[in-house]
Amino acid sequence: MTTHDTTETTESAVDPSEEGIDWQTKLRYFLNSDFVRSSPYWGIPFIIMGIAVYGGIGYNLAISFTDYAGIARPSFSSLDLEMYRRALADESFRAAAFQNFVLLVGFTSISLGLGLFLAVLLDYGIRYKETIQTIYLLPMALSFVVTAQLWLWMYSPGNGVLNIFVTALGFDSIDWLGDPRIALAAVIFALVWQFSGYAMVVFLAGLQSLPDDQFEAAKVDGASTTKTYVRIIVPQLKQASVGAAVVLMLFALKAFDFLYAITGNYRPPNGTDILATLMVREAFQYGQWAYGAAIATMLLLLSLAVIAPYLIFQHRQGSL
Amino acid sequence: MSQSTSDTNIDVASVVEDVNLRRIGHYTIVILFLGFFLLPLITGIMTALKTSTAVANTLPFMPPLGDGFTLANLEYAFNRLSYAFVNSLLMAIPATIINVLLASMAAFGLTMVRWRGQMGILVLFLIGIFVPYQAVLVPLARFWNNIFPIADMLEPVFSVVPLIQGYHSALVPLIITHVAYGIPICMLLFRSYYQSLPNSLVEAAKIDGASITKIYRRIILPISKPMFGVVFIYQFTQIYNEFLFSFTLVTSANSSEAPITLIIPTIGTSTSGIDFGIRMAAAFLAALPTIILYVAFAEQFAKGLETESA
Amino acid sequence: MGRIQFDHLTKQFGETVAVEDLTFDIEDSEFLVLVGPSGCGKSTTLRMLAGLETPTSGDLYIADEHMNYRVPQNRDIAMVFQDYALYPHMTIRENIRFGLEEEPGYTEAERDERVEDVAETLGIDDLLDRKPGELSGGQQQRVALGRAIVRDPEVFLMDEPLANLDAKLRTQMRTELQRLQEELDVTTVYVTHNQTEAMTMGDRIAVLNDGRLQQVGEPLELYHAPENQFVAGFIGEPMMNFLHGDRSEEGFVGEYIEYPFDERLERAVGDAADLVLGIRPEAIDVRHAGESASQSLGPHEFRMTVTVTETHGDQNVVTLTHAEDEASHDTIRAVTDGMHIVNAGESVIVTVEPDAVHVFDGETGEALCNRRLETARELTI
Repeated sequence: MTTHDTTETTESAVDPSEEGIDWQTKLRYFLNSDFVRSSPYWGIPFIIMGIAVYGGIGYNLAISFTDYAGIARPSFSSLDLEMYRRALADESFRAAAFQNFVLLVGFTSISLGLGLFLAVLLDYGIRYKETIQTIYLLPMALSFVVTAQLWLWMYSPGNGVLNIFVTALGFDSIDWLGDPRIALAAVIFALVWQFSGYAMVVFLAGLQSLPDDQFEAAKVDGASTTKTYVRIIVPQLKQASVGAAVVLMLFALKAFDFLYAITGNYRPPNGTDILATLMVREAFQYGQWAYGAAIATMLLLLSLAVIAPYLIFQHRQGSL
Repeated sequence: MSQSTSDTNIDVASVVEDVNLRRIGHYTIVILFLGFFLLPLITGIMTALKTSTAVANTLPFMPPLGDGFTLANLEYAFNRLSYAFVNSLLMAIPATIINVLLASMAAFGLTMVRWRGQMGILVLFLIGIFVPYQAVLVPLARFWNNIFPIADMLEPVFSVVPLIQGYHSALVPLIITHVAYGIPICMLLFRSYYQSLPNSLVEAAKIDGASITKIYRRIILPISKPMFGVVFIYQFTQIYNEFLFSFTLVTSANSSEAPITLIIPTIGTSTSGIDFGIRMAAAFLAALPTIILYVAFAEQFAKGLETESA
Repeated sequence: MGRIQFDHLTKQFGETVAVEDLTFDIEDSEFLVLVGPSGCGKSTTLRMLAGLETPTSGDLYIADEHMNYRVPQNRDIAMVFQDYALYPHMTIRENIRFGLEEEPGYTEAERDERVEDVAETLGIDDLLDRKPGELSGGQQQRVALGRAIVRDPEVFLMDEPLANLDAKLRTQMRTELQRLQEELDVTTVYVTHNQTEAMTMGDRIAVLNDGRLQQVGEPLELYHAPENQFVAGFIGEPMMNFLHGDRSEEGFVGEYIEYPFDERLERAVGDAADLVLGIRPEAIDVRHAGESASQSLGPHEFRMTVTVTETHGDQNVVTLTHAEDEASHDTIRAVTDGMHIVNAGESVIVTVEPDAVHVFDGETGEALCNRRLETARELTI
């Protein structure tokens, strides 16, 4: 503590200068700070999650560069992009990627549309709203596996409900899941059944967060109910739509459970193979670990392509 | 609509009629969708209660009549699934509890104390929500089977502990896996709740001399009881319903440690095809716990979903 | 003791400077009000005192001890929040006791007793076993105070504690707070955006704007001798009138109003070119113009038209504009006696005595000359 060229001698008793505080005091302050004290709280979960998620991704990426297959140990001596080249050249990979895309876009947009419709339906003064909402959302509580069983039976070519309707209308019965041309549509339909209730809940929450006076103002202005919804209410659900769309897309990317459970087999119905099923089949059925890892990496990139714009959008909105 | 007719009676009547027609149309659509969402469920339950002859000869969604009715399917499914049901609960309950606690702590650490670089950590958590599990599946299988076979290590311990069996040790890696991958989404659910709490609450506690730990235990934990309910129900449903991890980490659907979801896709299959009576009975039994939870806590469940996308 | 010193205290949030180079002292057991418009940095200053924010640079002392990095619990302070921040899941007793749990030197029984004592002082002893949600706003406010008092701190920090109360209760609590502070004899820093609270409660007031300290002083000092136009405009309700104009030979020339300076003003203003004339509403005398429009006017008298009259009962606030000033450029507001009623549209004669005029530099906003006070205590800057 050196006295320096300050004229105010009174201040030297409580030296305000930086040198006045030695590093030990600073360290003590630092160890006492909220940052240090709170770090175990987020740090421990972060480490567990970090190892599982990012360690896993890194390891997976490393494996995808090897030739790891069968029961041998992965050898990291020669790393190349062979597996990626193989995937891109593989007809079944391209088919799976295309079907994955159709599933992603088809399922997400139909669920969003239906969800919005249902939300408006329930938002506009209806009795027993809570109960109806609960029923619409009920399929969400089921697992993919159970849903798959229900729809396997609904789609059954023999005595399935859908074919009973179809034949009652005078058409020939249809092999919904067996016909590669309609199997994917049938899968999308079943997934929409399970998840449109989810989109509805998100939109309903969005609708209810809008102030009532907008409705009343529109009414005073003489707008019809339909017009009010289309022109005033729905445009304000942008935030809700984006959120719901992202979550739905991720459901679509995880549709593996559903497809596996339909056949109880690594191979889903013809025409419905997606990257997730292809990856699991290659890795766990055929032991093509490196190849499976490469497909998984591309699936991950697809997910990140969905999520990155969303995170940026949220960040811009300041709602992170 | 403001016609200036002298006869007000007619005017009122036409308005009432107009409203009624709209209302009827409105409710008709609502009821049609009730049918849409309930039909597969009703069909499933009705089929579960039918003999195979009745399944083949009656409309699938009609209730069983006379000797078409049987409880044999449910009985068979129950016997076949009861041990798997125990496995599922032994996995889902501890995993959910640990998960919810860790997630709540993480959310507390990330919302209640502000510091630079926090956003980076948060983004890493958020991305964790959206990573498809396939992207970690190969490493996961290698890790638990070859690198750190904790199931084998724990098996001798588990076989001497009362009430649980040696093979239950195979659930330990599943529990840890579920905890690790469940943290991000649960963290997000808690975080949105903690953000809605006024900052001054924590600040007041700081000024009152409470340490971070004391703030968490005495202020945040008690206040967030309702949110614990929401997240618990949500995450329990997720883990109980999960298929892919069990599928990769459990040897086969015939293993004694197989959780319930693993068995459903194969049950009731024979060379002559699928016995839908048994299959539906099994699906119904498997779904029962989550359906009960869902109906009992519909509000919390919906709330969990709302926050997930926000 | 509870003396507080700010020494070149600065707080930045990223690029924005919330508080800039704040230097002043608060005396032991003083009631100091930090006042300013929202975003002026008053709350940030308080939060730095509380230890909820760390200063970017400069130093902060409480009772001669360096505080910059010290956690709130080691500062011997207590704080009352605007939203009270009561713990909703605890009873009132637990709420008040919470802060006492970490205080050394009490036995459990003494802690309980202390809670009872404080509750009695504040008249909330019958509410001790209720939850905050069951209490009215005024009662919650008392609990918040109780939570601060119970620890017997060196310094009270209050962040707009009365802002959430209705007008009547606010007046009542104002008096009570002052009484309490006097009784406990604790240094108090009180943040508000409400100038009435500042004027009535503070021993001294510190006015902040844009993160900078404008002036510190006793209420009347700020009122009669503001150092700059911001302080002059912020303190006082209705606000001081400002007329913008230039220096001329005789004095001040605005767009419609010319105001000749007397010797005192002449001297103080010097040769500053760009001027702002400041006149307190109550320093303006308004009288009916009478019959003859050609009545001759004195040098400090103007003919103006009443545009709006607000009656308050005890006084009237009259908005006046120059007869030719159609765009209402130089509008001024005057306060007249409640019995002295003038109607909108009426033509009046307005007198402004040179002694009551403030002059500010139009560019810097600094006060060139403040009004003369009749009392012996002449305040000139």
